[in-house]
Amino acid sequence: MTTMTNNGTSQEQSTGMPLIIPASLIWHILLAVLLGVLSYRIFTAEVFEVFGSPANLGRPVKNFSAAILLIPAFFGVISSALMLAHNGQGRYWALGINFAGAALTGFGLLGLWGVYGSFELLVDGVMANGRLTMGFPIAYLLFWLAGRLFQNENNTIRSTMEMIALGLAGITLMALLLLSGILDGILHIVGTYGQLNVWLATIALIIFIVMTWRILYSGEYFNETPDQRIAWQGWFMLAPNIIGFALFFAGPLLLSFYLSFTDSQIGSANQGGPYIVNFQNYADILALQVKTTDDTEIFAQDTLDFGYVPLMEMNLGDSRVIIGAKDRVFWVSMRNTLFYCLLLLPLAIVPALGMSLILNSKLPGVQFFRAIYFLPSVAAVVGTALIWRWLYQPTEGFINFTIQRIAIFLGLADPNIEWLTNPSTVLISVVVLAAWQIVGYNTVLFLAGLQGIPNVLYEAAQIDGANRWQQFRNVTLPMLAPTTFFVLITTMVTGLQAFNEPYALFPSQPIPENATTAVYYMYRTGFAQGLFGYSSAIAWILFAVIFSLTLLQFRANSNEAYS
Amino acid sequence: MKKSLTFVVLSLLVVALSVPAFAQDEETTLRWRTRPDNQAEIDVYSATSAAIDEAWDGVALEYEPGGSEGASYQDVLVTELEAGTAPDVFWIPGTDVARFAQAGLILNLADLAAADEDYSEEDFYAGPMGFLTTPVEEGTDALWGIPRDVSAFAIYYNADLFDEAGLDYPGGEDWNWDRFGEAAEEISGLGEEVVGFGMNAWWANWGYFVNATGSGFFNEDYTNCGLANEGTVEGLEFASSLFDNGYAVPWGNDSEPPFLAGNVGMFINGRWATPGTVANADFNWNVAPLPVGPSGEATNWLFWGAYVVNANTENPEAAWDLVTRLTSAEVQGEIASLGANIPSRATDAAIELFLGTLPDSGVDNQAFIDGTLASDVRTEAPLFAGNWPAIDSAYGAGVTAVFNGELSAQEFADTICTSVESEFAMGDMGE
Repeated sequence: MTTMTNNGTSQEQSTGMPLIIPASLIWHILLAVLLGVLSYRIFTAEVFEVFGSPANLGRPVKNFSAAILLIPAFFGVISSALMLAHNGQGRYWALGINFAGAALTGFGLLGLWGVYGSFELLVDGVMANGRLTMGFPIAYLLFWLAGRLFQNENNTIRSTMEMIALGLAGITLMALLLLSGILDGILHIVGTYGQLNVWLATIALIIFIVMTWRILYSGEYFNETPDQRIAWQGWFMLAPNIIGFALFFAGPLLLSFYLSFTDSQIGSANQGGPYIVNFQNYADILALQVKTTDDTEIFAQDTLDFGYVPLMEMNLGDSRVIIGAKDRVFWVSMRNTLFYCLLLLPLAIVPALGMSLILNSKLPGVQFFRAIYFLPSVAAVVGTALIWRWLYQPTEGFINFTIQRIAIFLGLADPNIEWLTNPSTVLISVVVLAAWQIVGYNTVLFLAGLQGIPNVLYEAAQIDGANRWQQFRNVTLPMLAPTTFFVLITTMVTGLQAFNEPYALFPSQPIPENATTAVYYMYRTGFAQGLFGYSSAIAWILFAVIFSLTLLQFRANSNEAYS
Repeated sequence: MKKSLTFVVLSLLVVALSVPAFAQDEETTLRWRTRPDNQAEIDVYSATSAAIDEAWDGVALEYEPGGSEGASYQDVLVTELEAGTAPDVFWIPGTDVARFAQAGLILNLADLAAADEDYSEEDFYAGPMGFLTTPVEEGTDALWGIPRDVSAFAIYYNADLFDEAGLDYPGGEDWNWDRFGEAAEEISGLGEEVVGFGMNAWWANWGYFVNATGSGFFNEDYTNCGLANEGTVEGLEFASSLFDNGYAVPWGNDSEPPFLAGNVGMFINGRWATPGTVANADFNWNVAPLPVGPSGEATNWLFWGAYVVNANTENPEAAWDLVTRLTSAEVQGEIASLGANIPSRATDAAIELFLGTLPDSGVDNQAFIDGTLASDVRTEAPLFAGNWPAIDSAYGAGVTAVFNGELSAQEFADTICTSVESEFAMGDMGE
C-alpha cells in the first residue's frame, strides 16, 4: 500500500495495512527461530566461539549471551503482533529491533570481511606511497588560489581551476587507494563469500535495513504525530552514540565487573574457564594482617602467616607492630597514587592559575604564549617522557647540570640527585612531568574562567579602594570558584588514574616500585601476569576510591558560597 | 520498492557469480612474528620470510615484526592470544615458555617432531631444549618450540679508559672479582664523570653476582627459591659495594648511554648490544668473559627465546614446518650475520659461523661462545612450578632495596624465600 508522492518520497496510505506489517511478522518469526537456535547452541556449546575464536568467559557470560538473544526474538514477534493490531508502540519496538539488528549485523559483517584486521595494511600502503599525498595540498592550493584570484564565482577560469583542483584531489585519492592495495581488499571481501556465514550475515543485514526503512515509512498508517516523528528522529540521531556506548563502554565495564569475581587469566578460554571465585580477588587484594611482637630480633616476615609479606612496621612502646599484606605491591601502589595525587594538585593548579592571570592581561605577544603554554598538553607523553628522561639523567642531564652550577656558585656540595632511581625522588620526578603536561590545559580552563568575570566587579572594587591583591582575593578567586572546583576534580581524577607518565618514563619494565601507580599495577597484573580477573578487581577498587574522593569533594564544595 | 528489490537481487547475483573465481585460491596462509631489536633485523626477517615463501608451494607467509622489548611485545601478544588474533607462529622469551604452555596457548609439537625425520633435538643447545621438552602433564612427551637463538653476557670494556688507568684489559686466567673490583675503582678515579662499571636493572645482571658465588635463583628442580644462603649475601654485598663506593653507574640507570659516551669502564651486556656498540662507540673497546667469582667457576647466563606455535592455529603441520625452516642452519646463519644473535644450533658449523661475524669490528666473538659454554652456565629458566613475573618482581624489589641501602644483603637472603613461598606454591599464576 505504498504510493509515491510527486516529490519522490513514498508515503503509506492510512486506509489499508502496509505490506511491511505482515512481512515483518514473517521476518520476526523467522528471526525468533534463528535466534532461538543460536541461543540454544550457545547455551549448550562446549566452547563459546566468536568469529571462529574461542571466547570463553565462563558459564555466566555464555548463559547471559544466550538469554540476551531471546529478548529481540520475543519482542520482535510481539512488535509485529501489536502492529497487526494497529498499535503504534509495536512499530517503535520493531524499528528499534531492526535498526539495532542492522547495526550489529553490519559490525559483524565487517568482521567477517576481515576489515578490522586490514586497516593496518591500508595504513601501511598509504604510508608507503606517502609522496602521493602531496596531491591534496596542491589541489587545495589551486582551489584556494582560484578563489583568491577571481572573486567572481561565475568566472570561467575560476570554475576551471576549481574543477582541476577537485579532479586532482580525486585522482590522488584514487591513486593512493589503488596503490595501497584497495583492489586486493575488495577482492578479499568478495572472496569471503565462499563462507556460508558471510552470506547469512549479508542477507540478514539487507533484510534488517529494508525492514527498518519500510517500517519507518509506515507512520501514516499508525497516525503518527509530528512530535512522535521528531522523537524517533532524535533517537536515530542518538543511536550511533548509544550503540557505541553500549558496545565499547558499558559492555566492557560490565564485563570487567563480572571478571573481577572470576579467576579469569591468560589461556583460561582454552581450558573451560574462567570460574566464579566470588570475592576471592577482592579479599586477596585487600587482605591485611597485623601482628605484634616484643622480639626485636625476629624478622618481620617470620611473624606473618603464609602468603603475607611485610607492608609496614612501627614501634608502639616496647612492642613492634607489623602489618602484612597478601598483595603488598597493591598497597604500595595505592600509597604512591595518593601521594602522586597530593603532589600533582598544587603543582598543576597553582602555576596554572598564575599563568592564566598573566595570559589574561593585554601584554604584547600574549596570544603566542597562550599557544606555547598549551603545547605540552597536546604533545604525546611518550615523546615528552623521552625528553624528561634525558633531563633527569644524573650525569649528563640539564637539571643536575644546573643544580651543580648553582651549588658551585654557592660553594655547596653537588647533591647529584638520582632523579629516576632514588626511591625518595622517583615519584616526585614522575609528578613533575605530569604537572608540566597538565598545567597548560588547566591554564586554558582558568583563562576561560577569568574572561567570564564581569569587568564591573573590578571597577566597583577599584572605586571601593581595593588594591590588586584585594581584587584578586575578593573578586577573582570567588568568581573562579566553579572553575577551580572543576580543575580540582579533573586534576585529581587524572592523578588517581596516572599511567602514561610512569609507563613512558622508565625504559625497562617493571618500573621501580616507588613509581608504581595503581593503574600501572593493574595493567601489569593484567597483561604481564595475565591475571585478568584479579586485574579487574583492582580496577573496581580503584573506581571505588576515585568515586568516594570525588563524592567527598562534591559534598565539601556544596557548602561553599560560590559553588 | 520493486526497483530496490531488483537491485538487491542483482547485487547478490553478481557476488554469487564472482565467488567461484576467488574460491579456487586454496593457499595456506601462515602469519609469524618475532621481536626484532632494530630495522636491520626487521629487514633480514622480512627477506627471510620472502625467501621461504617463494620456495614453499601452497603456503603464503606473512611476517609481522612485533614491537621491541620496550614496546611491550609480550603484552600485545597476550592480548591477541586472548582475542584469538595472534599469529600462527611467534617468538617468545625463554622465561615465558612455561606459562604459555601451562595456559594452553602454545601447541605441543612433540608428535609433529617425532614424525619429522630431519628434526634432531641434539642439534640445539641442551639447556633450552631441556626446558622446551618439559611436559606440563607427567608421563607425556612435550616439545613447546625450537630456540631461535641464544645469547650470553660479556664485559664490554672501554680500552681507552683501561689504558689511561694503566690496567691490563679484562680477561686471562686471573680475571676474577679482585681484579674486576680493582679495575672499577681505578677507572672511577679517572674523572668526575667516569665510573668503572655499569649494569642495567633487570634480573640477569644482579643474578650473575649471585650465581658467581655458587648460589642461584631456584633450587635444583626449580620448585622453590634458592637464594637463602651465604652465597647470595656475598654476591649482593660485592655488587652493592660497587654502588656504595661510587664505582658503578647507580642502580636503575640505563648504563648503555654513559658507556657509549665513553664514561664507563666496564659494562655487562649480552650479544644483542654488540651491533649498537659497533655503530655508536667512537673509542677503542672490546668484550671479555665475565670475571670468575668466589665459586671459582666461569659463570654466565644462557639466554634464549623460541619459536612456538599458536595452539589455535588452523595449520599445525605447516606451522611446524615453518618453525623448522626458521631454525634451519641457513636461516640462523643469515640472522647471526647481523651480529646480534648467536645461532641456537650448538653444532661446530654454527659456532664457526658465529665466530666469523662482524669481522671488521675486531670484537672478540669467542668471549660470547665461552659464555654460552661456561662451566657454570645457567640457562634462562621458564618456571613450570611458580609464577615467574611475581617472583621476578619480588626478587627485583628486594635487590633494589639492597642496592639502595634500605635492606642488608643478609636480611634479603634471610627473608626473600619466605616472601615468595606462596608464588611457588600457587604454581601457574595463581591457581
